[in-house]
Amino acid sequence: MSCYQWEFSSVTASGEAMLERLQAILEDNLVSPGEQRKFMLAVSEAFTNALIHGNELNPKKTIRVQLCINEDDLSADIIDQGQEGLKKIQSPRETDLLSEGGRGVRLMMYCADNVKFEQIENGGLKVTVQLVRKSIAQIT
Amino acid sequence: MEINLTEANGVAILSLKGRLDLSSGSLLKEQVKKLFEDEKTNIHLNLAEVEFINSSGLGALVSLMKEIRLRKGRLTLSNLASYVQEIFDITQLSHIFEIFVSQEEALNSYQTVNAG
Repeated sequence: MSCYQWEFSSVTASGEAMLERLQAILEDNLVSPGEQRKFMLAVSEAFTNALIHGNELNPKKTIRVQLCINEDDLSADIIDQGQEGLKKIQSPRETDLLSEGGRGVRLMMYCADNVKFEQIENGGLKVTVQLVRKSIAQIT
Repeated sequence: MEINLTEANGVAILSLKGRLDLSSGSLLKEQVKKLFEDEKTNIHLNLAEVEFINSSGLGALVSLMKEIRLRKGRLTLSNLASYVQEIFDITQLSHIFEIFVSQEEALNSYQTVNAG
């Protein structure tokens, strides 16, 4: 099993930085392109949720990402320093097709095999996304 | 994300390359705002080289579509990779965007509308 941990400040540019690192690690570990895309989307949605709804883009607050890769699955914990994140997740906004937001949790659920939301001690939210690996990337 | 701007028959064509997410979505909105300043409201987005899109990227596209509709213009999309199309389908956004298989087909549709 290979595990990695990163911490990002809560600024918009961190989303891109996180995805760059994540993609490089997934490629190094020969995760298939299809699984890379699904996992990156699930992690990205959890990260954006932490950035906007959890830490409310406060650059003094950080988002921790813990990633583990093994032969059977990919999993990531995304942990913010917000308040009452679990409540916000449990009472999602009503969205219609023309809403600009409110699709993140649905996409997270669609892409990952398991998604878990936990309130942590300081009030922040920990989101765990897991993808069961179904294919091994071909080395060409 | 790289955004390449060209124009054909009065339609501004933005070819996007890279990831469409929170920060690049803002960049795209800024770029389109400049087009509005030049009174360009027929806008085509070629997504052939979009390798990743998340809900923030989708939100940016919805925001653009609403702005363009308010200005009585049109927004068309083309060349969606299968996984990008899948995301549009899951979120049902494929029902509200004008999505074409190719850029040529999308641009032809502007001619048809203008002729009609």
